[in-house]
Formats: sequence, C-alpha cells, structure tokens
Amino acid sequence: MYFEATTQGNDYKVKVNEGRSAWNVQLSKNDGPWVEHVILKEDFQMLNEAISFMFNNHSYLVDVVGKDTDYNVYTRGSFRTIKIFNDEMLLHESLKSGKGLAAGDNLNAGMPGKIIKILVKVGQEVEEGDPILIMEAMKMENEMRAEKSCKVKSINVKEGQTVESGAELIVFEC
Amino acid sequence: MFKKILVANRGEIAIRVIRTCREMGIQSVAVYSEADRNGLHVMLADEAYPIGPAASAESYLRIDKIIEVAKLSGAEAVHPGYGFLSENADFATALKDAGIVFIGPTADNIRAMGDKLASRELMKKAGVPTVPGTEGSVKDAEQAKVEAERIGYPVIIKASAGGGGKGIRVVHDPKEIESQFRACQSEGLNYFKDDRVFIERFIQNPKHIELQVFGDTKGNVVHLFERECSAQRRHQKVIEEAPSISVPDEVRKQMGDVAVKAGKAIKYIGAGTIEFIFDNNTKEFFFMEMNTRLQVEHPVTEMITGYDLVKEQISVALGNELSFKQDDIKINGHAIEVRIYAEDPKTFAPSPGKIRKCRPPQGPFIRMDNAAYAGYEVPIHYDPMIGKLIAWGADRKEAMARLNRALDEFMLTGVKSNIVLHKNILAHPQFIDGTYTTQFIDSEIAGKKQKELFLFVDENVFIISAAIVAYNEAKRRDTSRLNINSRWKDVGRSSQLRHS
Repeated sequence: MYFEATTQGNDYKVKVNEGRSAWNVQLSKNDGPWVEHVILKEDFQMLNEAISFMFNNHSYLVDVVGKDTDYNVYTRGSFRTIKIFNDEMLLHESLKSGKGLAAGDNLNAGMPGKIIKILVKVGQEVEEGDPILIMEAMKMENEMRAEKSCKVKSINVKEGQTVESGAELIVFEC
Repeated sequence: MFKKILVANRGEIAIRVIRTCREMGIQSVAVYSEADRNGLHVMLADEAYPIGPAASAESYLRIDKIIEVAKLSGAEAVHPGYGFLSENADFATALKDAGIVFIGPTADNIRAMGDKLASRELMKKAGVPTVPGTEGSVKDAEQAKVEAERIGYPVIIKASAGGGGKGIRVVHDPKEIESQFRACQSEGLNYFKDDRVFIERFIQNPKHIELQVFGDTKGNVVHLFERECSAQRRHQKVIEEAPSISVPDEVRKQMGDVAVKAGKAIKYIGAGTIEFIFDNNTKEFFFMEMNTRLQVEHPVTEMITGYDLVKEQISVALGNELSFKQDDIKINGHAIEVRIYAEDPKTFAPSPGKIRKCRPPQGPFIRMDNAAYAGYEVPIHYDPMIGKLIAWGADRKEAMARLNRALDEFMLTGVKSNIVLHKNILAHPQFIDGTYTTQFIDSEIAGKKQKELFLFVDENVFIISAAIVAYNEAKRRDTSRLNINSRWKDVGRSSQLRHS
C-alpha cells in the first residue's frame, strides 16, 4: 500500500507491504533514495498497553492514535503529528485543492477562550509567522500566528469577547 | 484531632491533602465542579459534593457553597490547597465566623502579604533586604550619580511610566550614568508625558530562590531551607529543586535567619514561602513577596527534610506546637520536581483532551503526585498541570539521573505533554552545572534553538509506526466494506429485483 506522509516539515513517500512474518516498509524522505526497513511482526507487537516496537534493537513503547489523515504517535515522552494520505485520500485532496480556498485559510478558535488583543486590521497584509491575535484559554495567553502570507479580509471578534471552540475569528484572502 | 476535613480544591493537590488525611485517620470531603465529576480527587476522597458549574468563579471560588458543604458534611476544618481560595482573607474570615477551622495562616497574615508594595515596605522595616533603589524619583543627573553610587553598579534606570522597552536603561559604567539618566528622562517625557525616573540595582543573573517557613500559634517560626525555582516559562515554574546548588552555606544560613525574621515580624502561622530574587554573581538576595499557603513545589522540601508539611499544617491548625525545632531540621540529599502539563512542549499552548494511556514512572526514590489516569479527560477550564514527578537522590547528580530515568518510563498519550521539555532541560549544560537563571528557558530552550532540541527518538520510529497502523486501518476498512456489502448479496438483490 502506498502512502504519503508529512511531519516536522518533511515529506515522506511510504510503501507498506505485509508479509507472513514481517512488514516491509520503504521510506523516501523529501524525494531522497528509498530506504527499506524489514520489521519482524514479532518486533511490532500490538499489545493492550501499547505497541511494543523493537527497532534496531531499541525498545519503544508506542501509542498511535489515528483519525482520518491525522496520526498522533507517542513514545518516550515525545510525540509527532503525522499527516498520512493513501491513494484514495490523495485523490480526494487533489480534488479539494482544485476548488481554491481550502479549509484552514481562516483563523478559528481551537478551544473556548477570551480574545485579549487583536494585532491586525482589515486589509492588512500579513506574512507567515506574523502575530494575529492573543487569546486566553486555560489561564494562559496564547499568541496565534499567520500560517502563510495573506491579506486580512474581515475580523469577526472584538477584544474582550469570549468565544466558543471552532468560532471563526478572522477571515483571510490569499 | 479533626474527624473530618473538607478539601476546597481539585487535581493533584486535593489528592495530596486527602492522602495525608487518610494517613492521620481523618475523613476527607472533596468538592467538585460539573467538569470534575471524573476527577481522581472525587474518587479518592471519603465523601464528595458537587458545588456548581465548570467555571471556577461559580464553583471552586464560591465561599458560600464551600461553607454550606462543610456544614452539611460535618467537616470541622477546610484545607484550601494552593490557588483558588488559598490566599483569600475573606474566606479565612468567613470560615472562622462559621465556626470552621481554616488550615492556613490568619486572615491578618494573608492581608499583610497580599499587597506587593505594602508587604515590601513592611519587610524593609523588619530588616529584610529588598532590591536597593531610590526612595522617590530622582531630580537630576547629579543626584542620579550619587544614588547609583550608593546602590551599586550595575543599575537600571526606569521611567516611572515606562514600558515596552521604552524608558528603561541598564548602566554598567559609572561614566555613562549622567547621559543615560537624561536619555531616560526625555524618553519618559516624550513617550509617556512623565519625566519621573527611578534607579534600582540591576540583577544580572537572577535566580528565583524561596524559603519554606512554618509558624505555630505559640509564636514559634522555623524555616525548612530553600527551593530553587529558576526554570520558568512565561513566569510559571516548571522545575523546582532543593537545596539550591548556587547558595553557599553561609548565605543559606543568612537566608534562613532572614526568613524566620520575616515570619516572626507578622506572627505567621502555618506553612508559607518567602520568595527572593537571588543575584548569582554577588550571592545577594532580596525579598520579592511572600506566599501565604502551601506551594506546588512543597514535595521537594518534604523529600530533603523528611517532614510531611500537610500533616504539620493540620497539626498547627489544631493549635499544637510545631513538631520540630529549628535544630532538628536538616538537609538530607537532593530532590527535584518537574511539573507535568498537558501542553505543547514547544509553544506551551494547553492541550486538553482525553488521556489514552497513562503509566506513570515507578521504582526507587520516585514520587508521583498525579491526577491523570487512562480515560481521564483533562478539562479545558483549569490549569493544565496534571501532576508532579519528584525524584530524590543522595546528591544532585543522583537525583537528576533518577528523574531522567523516570521521565523515560513515563507513558502519557492522547494529549501533548511537556515530558520531552523536561528531558531537554535536564540535558542542558546550564542546568547540569546549576548556573541557569530565570531567563534560562526563554533564551536556551524556546524559540530558534528548538530545531536542534527535542530529538530523543529516531524519526523512523514515528513514521513506521504510523504507516503500519494506517495500513491495518485501511485493510480493516476494506474488509468491513466487503462484509457489509458483500458481492453475493448484491447479486442476490439484483436478481430478486429482476424477478419481481
């Protein structure tokens, strides 16, 4: 089965083949050469507690939570969010991106909170990484930054306003 | 002895208090908001009562409701934990009026230390050192020179209305004091229409060092040595240790004496903490504020002294004399605590949600004060700290090795956690040699340096694990589709349609 995966700003092409007693996983990082990993099924045990994964004789307890294309992988106190697309999903994604504005162009509240400060004005051009607004959630002030260079189309909230999770805060035009 | 104590808090600190209650043969009463029905403190207490909606202001901060539950359950005393109502003088007074014992300082103690400026003045009068500075504003450059000389270089010149980096100058060289003073004065006037300027000592390598004190109703006050809490992110502590590697023995003695003097000056009762800003260059220390409650990081003091501070709080609240004298209290070994937050370790953004797997570390010399369990939903309404991991060692090196080992063992999945941040900190040369200051995390761990940090696991482990699980998921979906909508059924159905 063929997948494409992205994590930490790197793109991976992934081929997974299941054998009787082993997995054959081939990886190509950022279009680099293919590297083959043969993982004995014995070394990738899906237990109730977690996955016990022996990789190059290093022992990892891994937990993988997959939902749609988002996979969260946890091990040894570290975690990665990995976006995984199989053939079917890749087709779906390419159709979606053909329609113009994809989801994520707007700034939505990830959790309920209070808007502390809005740092942009309507019509303003912002660059990737520019601070957009400061929101307080769970007793912490969080600065939300632009994901890419865009123009601010409209601002749907006021400073001091409390917002629900998922609320559309700022609309961009890219 | 009390028969029953109400714990007016949630999370790990409520559990901490409930545990000591049980050890002392005291019944415990938990209170919980609508968001905390599944909180571990509710399950571990003897009794539990709902006190309102998720928002703290409507539940954990409701003095009337907590007193009502105390009366209803027959609790004779209330332990406030930390945060919430722990430093609320009105709460202490209301309990007293209701005939219920507040396990904490007197309302007067809380008020005396509640206002930062007033408490600093009070401490100054009691002979506790505060950051040297000018009494009022400085009139002219000539006076600035005299004052700076008296205070001692380096100094910081601050426009009284200054902020955002404007109207603040650090002066190392006495030759520059006059010109910098004038510059600061005019900046104040230009930006804030206020030319009043103050001068204060500039602390170059500031450390946060605090002294645990304990007083009783008989007028005794002792200290239980220091804790260093310089590892902070966004002014919130993340790692605390005791003792501090930066405090020489003679300074430790001075700090202890000063802390006791401060406690005696306000006739302090119960557990309290005196926070100092510590100049790691000159080893001078200056009073910042006093926290009139049990601290989050109290376990490190418990680990090096061997005293249960909650047990002592309860005993003092009963009117007993302190069970230890100053000469009894000795430092034994070293302890380090890390706070476990459900948050992104790089951005520090909270990460509420459901915990999937939770296997806290175990084994020798490890203590875990923890509110998390598999299936627990970390609520979005409160502080994202879910627990504390504490390691003890005969010396600092051994404590660090044990803590590192414990962090490796800690399995916590489903939410993001700062476990990996702690691993980075423990591996950093400035933490290892103890020279880290309050700016340490901001300058050494956060920001651009993150790209080279946080790499404790082979990237392939993440990708391969995700790929195999995604493969199994896709295969399972395909087979289930086959089963539900089997070809044979399709054929059967269509042929039926044809015949009818």
